[in-house]
Amino acid sequence: MSAARRNPLVPWLGIAALAAWPLVEPYLPAWMHLGEPLTEVFVYAILGLGLNILTGFTGLLNLGVAAFAAIGAYTYSIATCEIYPFQLGFWPGLAVTAAAGALAGFLLGAPTLRVRGDYLAIVTLGFGEIVKDVLVNLDTITKGTQGINPVPPPSLLGTALEARGQYWLLLAFVVATFAGARALERSRVGRAWISIREDELASRAMGIRPDHAKMLAFAACASLAALSGALLVSRLSSSGEPSNYGFELSIVALCIIIVGGIGSVRGTLLGAVVMVGMNSIVLVRLSEALNSSGADAVQAGEPPAGIGAVWHFLRTWVQNVFLSPTNWKFLLFGLALILMMIFRPQGILPPLAVHEDPPEDEPGAPGAGQGARP
Amino acid sequence: MSAVPILEVQDVTMRFGGLVANERVSLAVRPGEIFAVIGPNGAGKTTLFNAITGIYEPTEGDVLFEGRPIRREWRNADRLRGLAVGMAGAAAAVLALNASALWDAAINARYVMGEPFGWWGMAGAGREVLGAAGLWLTWFPAAVGFAIGRLGFRAIWNAQRRTPDLVARAGIARTFQNIRLFGEMNLVENVLVGMDQHFRSGFFACLLRTPGFRRERDRMRRRAFELLKFVELADAAAEPARSLPYGHQRRLEIARALATRPRLILLDEPAAGMNPAESADLMRLIRRIRESGTTVVLIEHDMKVVMGISDRIAVLQYGKKIAEGTPEAIRSDPVCIAAYLGTEELG
Repeated sequence: MSAARRNPLVPWLGIAALAAWPLVEPYLPAWMHLGEPLTEVFVYAILGLGLNILTGFTGLLNLGVAAFAAIGAYTYSIATCEIYPFQLGFWPGLAVTAAAGALAGFLLGAPTLRVRGDYLAIVTLGFGEIVKDVLVNLDTITKGTQGINPVPPPSLLGTALEARGQYWLLLAFVVATFAGARALERSRVGRAWISIREDELASRAMGIRPDHAKMLAFAACASLAALSGALLVSRLSSSGEPSNYGFELSIVALCIIIVGGIGSVRGTLLGAVVMVGMNSIVLVRLSEALNSSGADAVQAGEPPAGIGAVWHFLRTWVQNVFLSPTNWKFLLFGLALILMMIFRPQGILPPLAVHEDPPEDEPGAPGAGQGARP
Repeated sequence: MSAVPILEVQDVTMRFGGLVANERVSLAVRPGEIFAVIGPNGAGKTTLFNAITGIYEPTEGDVLFEGRPIRREWRNADRLRGLAVGMAGAAAAVLALNASALWDAAINARYVMGEPFGWWGMAGAGREVLGAAGLWLTWFPAAVGFAIGRLGFRAIWNAQRRTPDLVARAGIARTFQNIRLFGEMNLVENVLVGMDQHFRSGFFACLLRTPGFRRERDRMRRRAFELLKFVELADAAAEPARSLPYGHQRRLEIARALATRPRLILLDEPAAGMNPAESADLMRLIRRIRESGTTVVLIEHDMKVVMGISDRIAVLQYGKKIAEGTPEAIRSDPVCIAAYLGTEELG
């Protein structure tokens, strides 16, 4: 815990390594080409960081964060797609999206200020389903289950970015979001949020206004989630269909912060790497490996050997959906949650206990020794 | 002795269903004094504190702070906010009923891909649609939406005229009988939460860590550290609050309450669980708080503390005030002795 805190070089080395990855990638074997899935990890990391502000810092359980992502995705699609008259560029589109997300956060936050715990979870769950259904049924605006396309890709200074540029852009977004979340966490804003999580009555009695703080948390969470939705859409160049932004996405976001360590900014990043990495790197690679195992032999007309033989047999004769590891996703997410609850309920990287150091010129600052008290 | 009491409790009755926790309790605390409220368990002392600090709304009676009730006033800003919520309600109701038709007429029907779009025609098309929709799809839902928004805003506002945060911001701070620190935060942070109302930097200043934010942060940190020194906890400043020994946690709660810069501080059993040496320290601390210009009201069972530092004492029993006076008067009051003090303790 203190090691990462004391060594400011670690995060910079991490960023540098990630930034250098696309340059190194072409020289690596095909199974190590991670640029594409990593951008997905980045998008989910932004979603997780947003949810972490509301659920991690402020302690308000939100089971409908996908709704905010959906609002962001559709706002961005409508604002930028050529089938609508608005046709904003990438950056103005993102600005509109962030604002729309914040507004959606306000609109959900205001009436639920007095709802807490399980009840808030139910309200947000309902909100998520409502938004999804509205998007399906309001098809004059949203094109219903068709989705909106084509959505313009990310661009910088007027030029559309290709895969590598998108990777760097998303990495920059993640770094900025991370820095922002850390800055808030260690300021009066984050302190107010955390104090509400720890003991709302006590923080009220100390003059914190929970209504303001909660609305701010809702708006910040929704804004970041909307941004992640817009980035997802701009990467896929289509809004996809509304069911992409259903309960499953909310649960994935929640898994990310629970596995990483609820309330922990670093943990959320790690959670995104673990959960999304497992889904779109490990399982995909495993699928590819299993499907190709034995295929050469079969093509050559010989009986496959070893694990290839087993898999070939299953694939030919059993034909179950679970034969493809990519379908194990939710099974593994559930398993991960259960294992975390049993063995490490605080998450892999729990939040740092201390955000604020005493003034450094004073005795009693960390390292000055916990001397004897009078 | 000032004419206006800093805290005046006027005939406060707290009723919870059939249970009467306080019955017509009246107190007048003078500025600069140390006032103790004593009484057997269940006498309604903490309930009285909760009524004073806005956690409960008194069933009957009033609480005046410096001669005035602490109560939100309906200002112009509230009027505007209420109007905005009402308008939002109206807009939501109309849009919910007409969104598809409006979009169709204003955009789908008028936009041909690749051709320039007449932005100004949108308003006209929208008006046409709403005109055609008729009263029952426009003005009626708008009126209902407005009424719900506006009346709902007022109802919520009415229910929050005297919340604990308003009382704290007005200048009354408190500690809790069952310590309510923020256990995961360290000592400095706990105190900084108390100082929150004195911060000026807003959300974006915090997000971007502007120079103004940094200056304020450093200044506030130093002040928080000074408060920790005041309660003699500076050595442990970086430790999480939950790791502190019990007696120190009580002192940290006092520091956090003082961080709000109160003119009146309410201490709920500050000496509970302390050994004699610690409670002697605590008495010194309470005297220093008074010297710094803050009036102190405390609930306490430790008679050595109460008799040692109080200027005046009120005795509660079964929710009623049965006596009030100087420590000497209370000590020799037969009613108090029978109700609470007993004979041996006086020795």
